[in-house]
Amino acid sequence: MDETQRRVDAIRAQRNEIENHVIDEYTAGRISRREFIRRGTVLGMSIPLVSFIAAACGGGGGTSAGTSPGQTTGGTANAGGTIRAGTSPPATKLNPLLVQDQGGLSVLSQSGEYLTFSDSKLNLQPVLAETFEPNDDASVWTFKLRQGVKFQDGTPFVANDVVGTFDRLSNPKTGGNALSALGGYLKPGGTQAVDDTTVAFHLEAPNGNFPYLVSSDNYNAIILPADFDPDTWEQSFMGTGPWKMTKYTPKEGVSYTKNPDYWSPNQPLADALEMKFFADEQAAVLAIQGGQTDVQLQFSVSGGQALLNDPNVTVIKTRSAAHRQVHMRTDMEPFTDKRVRQAMALVLDRQAIVDGLFDGLSDIGNDHPFAPVFPSTDTSVAQRELDVEQAKQLVADAGMSGGFSAKLETWKGFEIPDYAVLIQNAAKEIGGTIELSITDASTYYGDGTYGNSRWLDSVMGITEYGHRGVPNVFLDAPLKSTGTWNSAHFKNPTYDGLVDDYVSAVDLQSQKSTAGQIEQLLLDETPIIFSYFYYFLTATKSNVVGVEPSAMGHLNLRETGFVS
Amino acid sequence: MTLWLLSLIIFFGAQILPGNVGRAILGPLADQAVVDNLNHELGTDRPLIEQYTDWLSGLFRGDMGDSLVYGRPVSSLLVDALGKSLKLAAVAFVIVVPLAILGGVIAALRRDTAVDRVITLGGLSLTVVPEFVTGIILILVFGLWLDVLPVSANAPPGSDPLTQLKYLILPALTLVILLFGYIARITRAGTIESLDSDYARTAFLKGLPRRTVVRRHVLRNSLLPTIAVIATQTGYLIGGLVVIETLFNYPGMGRLIFTAAQQKDFPLLEASVLVVGMVFLIATLLADIAYSLLNPRIRYAATE
Repeated sequence: MDETQRRVDAIRAQRNEIENHVIDEYTAGRISRREFIRRGTVLGMSIPLVSFIAAACGGGGGTSAGTSPGQTTGGTANAGGTIRAGTSPPATKLNPLLVQDQGGLSVLSQSGEYLTFSDSKLNLQPVLAETFEPNDDASVWTFKLRQGVKFQDGTPFVANDVVGTFDRLSNPKTGGNALSALGGYLKPGGTQAVDDTTVAFHLEAPNGNFPYLVSSDNYNAIILPADFDPDTWEQSFMGTGPWKMTKYTPKEGVSYTKNPDYWSPNQPLADALEMKFFADEQAAVLAIQGGQTDVQLQFSVSGGQALLNDPNVTVIKTRSAAHRQVHMRTDMEPFTDKRVRQAMALVLDRQAIVDGLFDGLSDIGNDHPFAPVFPSTDTSVAQRELDVEQAKQLVADAGMSGGFSAKLETWKGFEIPDYAVLIQNAAKEIGGTIELSITDASTYYGDGTYGNSRWLDSVMGITEYGHRGVPNVFLDAPLKSTGTWNSAHFKNPTYDGLVDDYVSAVDLQSQKSTAGQIEQLLLDETPIIFSYFYYFLTATKSNVVGVEPSAMGHLNLRETGFVS
Repeated sequence: MTLWLLSLIIFFGAQILPGNVGRAILGPLADQAVVDNLNHELGTDRPLIEQYTDWLSGLFRGDMGDSLVYGRPVSSLLVDALGKSLKLAAVAFVIVVPLAILGGVIAALRRDTAVDRVITLGGLSLTVVPEFVTGIILILVFGLWLDVLPVSANAPPGSDPLTQLKYLILPALTLVILLFGYIARITRAGTIESLDSDYARTAFLKGLPRRTVVRRHVLRNSLLPTIAVIATQTGYLIGGLVVIETLFNYPGMGRLIFTAAQQKDFPLLEASVLVVGMVFLIATLLADIAYSLLNPRIRYAATE
């Protein structure tokens, strides 16, 4: 034991202040073992190291170790064969800067790779970066890069390529999709090569979750050569990834062979990969049932019920932060009075909604964006339950016992129209008359600017939000006074201040306590109803193992193979 | 002239749809300034007349331009999709045309018998079933339950023609079910009309065997309306199969036009609609030629 303690002390002497703080929190039992491991990997400690400390210090309440590389299907795979995977067709030309849809990102990340991969438990797995660590206030993050990696054209991967990639991604002039994550933290010039294998990110503002912003969570951030023109990506499918493109047919699919120079020996396991595009979920579900694909990246409960009951299909359920926001304009009748907004949230039977829309395959939301999957979520804040009586009372108190009416605008996609009807019916119990206006997506989103968009101008609406590894974007754009997606027109200086505190907080304990305050505030104000965070469902044929999806829509097939 | 009018209608019709190309590419969340910038680069912020004349002059030089959304030549996207659509239409036609004509003639000859009722009523009932219903039933039965045919229509890359044919059977059958009743009914009506005509009666009275009358006198005339119907279906088969192409995950012209319209990808939309229009015109022309071959009166009329 003394020997163990001596080694722990030796390790701690080498770690910086933030890392030691996490270790303290763990030994004090304030965070679980699982959270400690996750937190430690975010700070750049290697998984074996974190596991060693976890075992040696033995604090915390969690039980599962969480060291497994994400949630994958089990079994031992044979090498060789061709994997056929279904995904949605990329919506536009494949330019890594601009890709903004699941089809596009699922293709980007076959031949391209990130610094780290954010797995299904939100642990950061090392890919092109081996380790990373912050300075004391988390305003500079230093990444050590993997050596001996080559791009698919044979040029070696060096620190300058990371600099070039992030200078492009963080440049406002490119209109890149990554700006929504990097904006305010990283500017061109902020990424600096220390030497060939070390990169330092100098941030505009401290960010305790920065490694997520340069991980696969920021799915545009595949590392490309320093002087690469991303507009030509479609010709080469450039990157350092395990799969090499042999043929790309827009709207149809991509054929790949294994990259013989891939840095991880014996990977990928299979010889070839066919990514097939399915514009329609039903066709995709039928294709995997009919044996024409081996993997389907994502399906919904409503569209893929057959897969959930198919004995030849294994379903991988990944918890996610993907959700729908029901906004209520805080500056327009009938929702100017927060009691009416609270009443709307109280009449929703969330368990019934989740059972009805997702067969229960979803977490329940508590009217704030802290999904249960986020480690920083304060789960001690009481869940808002169905309470029609209280809702009626609130409406009466607001002087609307004679009834109120509002128009709910949204678009026809996923389960959203069904959700809209559920809200419409629930509102009747408190005298609310909700008129539905359901259009196509482009009508609903319009120009995406205030005054030119039903999404941002409607008195009430439902908007879909995809998964994120950290809640920062959810906290900022749709809720902050200056937020660009603030449909509810919610303006609350206390809230704005709390979010700033949350983002700059480096240690989990202070993140969590700020999160608790934000949750309470949003529960009280209820500018937006968050009633569920549904799971990301992936289907594989039961003879296929080693498939690793992310809730973001990546499909890691490096270790995928067939069992005999 | 017709095609030119068509191009005008498509162009200005498409402008009524909401949204713009820059927004479609960059997404609802992108900054407006960046969207404006991209629209400027693509040239979609210019006056409509200028965009249109630009495109038209390109077309006369044989250049259909680049797809705004996919950033590659329209011609390459078109050739892929058109090839697929033509293959599917051909397979469907080869099955449905002889089958429906045979059915129609038999129904006419056995007028008002049980056989006639089965063919006309059965065919008609199948025609009114929406194609996604028949398609799904066929997929469930042949693709999943019996597991004898592939459920997607797109054969793996590099497949031989026979394999490709196998992949096309289910969607083609869906079309056959959809079209059979319609074509058979028209054939039946045409045949009955010819059977009741003076020349048919004369032929019967001359003592010619029934088979000879049908083949030499009746069929020639009764097929005229059938040919017209088949020709009008060509446009639908090439450009209108959005539902079937979606269900069988087959990237043909229907879906190409559909997504181009959604994304306001004007060069792609114009070119694909024009190609479908052209196919339609060619089909009508072929129908006219077939007409004149079957019916000498039309030929004489033309030379007079």
